[in-house]
Amino acid sequence: MGTVRVYLKASGAVAAGVLVVVLAGTTLARAGTTPGLLNATVKGTAQTPVGVLPHAFLELATYPDSLAGEHGPDGGSKPDWVSYGPTTNLSAPAHSLVTITIKQYDSGGTITNPYFASVHGTVDGTMTINGQTATASKVDAIGHTFTIHAMPTNQDPLFVSVPLRALPDNAKPAPGSSYPVPNVVTFSFVTGGPGEYVWNCEYPCGDGTYANFGGPMSARGYMSGTFTVA
Amino acid sequence: MTQTEPVTAQIRMWWQRVEIKRIVWIWLGITVVLAIFALIVPARVMGSPASPTMRAVESTMTIFSVAAAPVMALVLSVAVYSLTGWRSRGSEPPIGDGPPIRGSGRVTATWMVVSSVLTMFVLIWGLGEMQSLSAEASAPNAMVVNVTGQQWVWTFSYPQNGNVESDQLYLPVNRPVVFHVTSKDVIHSFWVVEMGIKVDANPGEVTKTGVVPDTLGTFVVRCAELCGLLHAHMETQAHVVSSTDFAAWITAQESRAS
Repeated sequence: MGTVRVYLKASGAVAAGVLVVVLAGTTLARAGTTPGLLNATVKGTAQTPVGVLPHAFLELATYPDSLAGEHGPDGGSKPDWVSYGPTTNLSAPAHSLVTITIKQYDSGGTITNPYFASVHGTVDGTMTINGQTATASKVDAIGHTFTIHAMPTNQDPLFVSVPLRALPDNAKPAPGSSYPVPNVVTFSFVTGGPGEYVWNCEYPCGDGTYANFGGPMSARGYMSGTFTVA
Repeated sequence: MTQTEPVTAQIRMWWQRVEIKRIVWIWLGITVVLAIFALIVPARVMGSPASPTMRAVESTMTIFSVAAAPVMALVLSVAVYSLTGWRSRGSEPPIGDGPPIRGSGRVTATWMVVSSVLTMFVLIWGLGEMQSLSAEASAPNAMVVNVTGQQWVWTFSYPQNGNVESDQLYLPVNRPVVFHVTSKDVIHSFWVVEMGIKVDANPGEVTKTGVVPDTLGTFVVRCAELCGLLHAHMETQAHVVSSTDFAAWITAQESRAS
């Protein structure tokens, strides 16, 4: 009887420990904030290299701070960090032509890997910058990139990378705005089946951190996010 | 037991002790189980090899595991028998330990010789395998691929093929390849699991590794060094194709870039 009691106590202690860990984990997981989801808006159909597909649109922006995106007008805890907006969680329909327009309000410099100064994965391998068609941007004038990773999973591959031309360092705010007139970059790509992807900026814009890849480059909700094909 | 007794007499005397017999039988049983496990599981867990390098890695893992089986079994068998056969029963603790074994030169010598043989086997085998791997990395007809890691993507360029660049790795089958690996930011680790190659990608430095991919197919390239927020997503594909398909891919990439 005494032995049974010892084993019961030991089992109870282990179970209590597991319970504490589970509760702590779930509590911490729920405490994190999840950025809002931005769904692409479908407007009609479009001819693509793989036939006529629904045409979905997303509008994003890159800011030199965090005052205009998902962190609220006060910029949250790091108002001076560069950010994407209006959110970093994106969704687009499967088997569609997705056109993304990004208003680029930030300055920049030389990208460390010239590969990401070129356009990859878009229809015809092109983008438009302020209405002009281009296949690349100058390596020394990149503000940010929008790069969806090609994860080797069972889902359809999707690799898209577009450089966002930098504004001049001395660009003045536009009338009635706290930001200059942006460079407007538009590109389109075709989605496959449903899948979960991640994207991030490949221009090192985490100023003041090691290799400029820290800060907003290494925190959720600034220069990286998710891209859900549903 | 004394130093002057013949070895056979000592063994015969040990074997007459029931606990020794039980420990030996437990040791044999665990050894067989572990050896079977070592022969089957490690290689299967590591996946299908796609290069001689990975085959060498898997055979090394299997042989080392088999060699370690009796050692691990000895520890486990003594531990199991100590916890069961020599366990003190009742409410009172034992009065004291059993008599210690001291001054046995044969036991000490046996332990040292066996340990030395096993460690020398591991060392010599390992050095031999490493030598063969470094030979692959310095093959004169090897194709060079520059590998660049950055948070959180891989890019590949082919300096012998017009500096073609890609986010995915394409390799011709049965041709030696040397990877020149570097990083743009933090430390990454270039790892193609099925090919058995893994080398750190250090910022400002170029590290090298080589392989001869000998299996057609698509494999996973991943980062094996925790490198930040999206480390788990730092993966891409390695395509091993025929030399004809590789030439066609290079041509297509060159025409796309021009």
